Amino acid sequence: MICARGVHFAFPGRTVLEALSIDIEESITTVIVGRSGIGKSVLLKCITGLLRPQSGSITIDGDEVVGASRQQILAIRRRIGMLFQEGALFDSMTVFENVAFPLSYHKLASGKEIERRVLAYLDLVGLREYARAMPQELSGGMKRKIAVARAMILEPRYLLYDEPTAGLDPASAAVVESMIRRLQRERAITSLVVTHDIDLTRYIADRIALMEEGRISAHAGREDAFAEPSAIYEHFIENRERIRAENGSQG
Amino acid sequence: MSRPESEAAREWRHAGASTASMYGNFFFWLFREPFPTRQLGAQIVRVMLEGFGILAVAGIVEGAMFAWLGGWYGTKFSVVNWAGAASLYLLLSAATTLFGAMMFAAKIGTAFTVEIGSMQMSGQLDALRLMAVEPTQYIVIPRVLASILCLPILKAISDACAIIAAIVLSKLWFDISVPIFLQHALLVLKHTILTTSYIRCALHAFFISINACGLGFHFQGGAIELGRTTTKSIVINLICVLVIDTVYGVMDSVFGWSTV
Repeated sequence: MICARGVHFAFPGRTVLEALSIDIEESITTVIVGRSGIGKSVLLKCITGLLRPQSGSITIDGDEVVGASRQQILAIRRRIGMLFQEGALFDSMTVFENVAFPLSYHKLASGKEIERRVLAYLDLVGLREYARAMPQELSGGMKRKIAVARAMILEPRYLLYDEPTAGLDPASAAVVESMIRRLQRERAITSLVVTHDIDLTRYIADRIALMEEGRISAHAGREDAFAEPSAIYEHFIENRERIRAENGSQG
Repeated sequence: MSRPESEAAREWRHAGASTASMYGNFFFWLFREPFPTRQLGAQIVRVMLEGFGILAVAGIVEGAMFAWLGGWYGTKFSVVNWAGAASLYLLLSAATTLFGAMMFAAKIGTAFTVEIGSMQMSGQLDALRLMAVEPTQYIVIPRVLASILCLPILKAISDACAIIAAIVLSKLWFDISVPIFLQHALLVLKHTILTTSYIRCALHAFFISINACGLGFHFQGGAIELGRTTTKSIVINLICVLVIDTVYGVMDSVFGWSTV
């Protein structure tokens, strides 16, 4: 379980997270929604120890992340896989080498075992035939699926997704959505997704948290979140109406 | 009351801090396991391939230019036979080292900054950290060590090109025969000239690659900022090369390494 308590994080001159608290429950998909630039990605980086909050506590399975030593952070990170916004695949490596990288760099398996596992995970995301392709040859959706395969190769307990459908066309977004849902159902991984995509949230979320002004302002199960009236429902409706109004005024 | 810091001042302060912290990071990670042997090999090949053309062309241009200047002034002061000696002395003691380092900063240094900066921008460095791979160890150390190993070799290639260009131009333009050219050249060349120039080369490579990697590593922003950071990389590195050569010049005058 991931627990954040009173997390405060600020860049010079700008507070991003302010007394943020949330519990991420095991074996379900929790989606954190909120406007762009509100600090959702910063929260993920704080959870993974890539950014260090100024105060507060974040624990993963009871192990404290804030203030942990480098060795402790490395041990915690072994339990986490993360999908970055655009996949963050290594440009100089093939798809196979990208997925194999965590295993081969740390010498965690023999050559044959690495090949078997990489191909198994490429099968899982449906891209085995692209094993020899370079990342530049792939579409945005494919890159993200490969990135998920890479994140999962060490079989983490937690999978964090940073805007998994941002910038994708509706068809590619639907493919990524169904992959996240399938992984969740088949492997029961604890997933934390940050997004402002309403359709994605509706499709994959078990629990939904609304992030506003650096803190979680509402946290509810899927049914309650989309029931009227609720803060999360209001947020989605407000967003949609705002976008439509902006499009209308431009038209 | 203190004046608010301007945007440019803030950017330069960040650039200074980025490069300074990379020196500490480099030595901290250099002696820690695992040593990135495969990446070092790949970077050696890459730096040699990318640097060969520009350093060879620079050597030819420098050789021709210095031979022409030597021949022209030699003719004017009736010491044309010494033109080869003068041009080779200037080339090997200063020109190929200085211009070679500048070309290296422009070609390889900027490539390091842009490459690592775009890795930072696209989250690849964070992805490495999440896989328990230290980016300084995996990305920076191979590039710096490859630069230190390759720039002296590239300088040797540049020197050879410069010597051949100087001999050919001296023969064709000023009718200085090859034996006369070499005979006078050998009279003025001391082994310390070559030794110190190659040591300077390795120093240039170290500073250029660390500065370039540091700026890319701590890069923040988008495409415009990456462009600015790349400009900073070349400016800082050119200044660095000039400072190293100035310090060397002062020490040389004190210790007389290159005295004919």
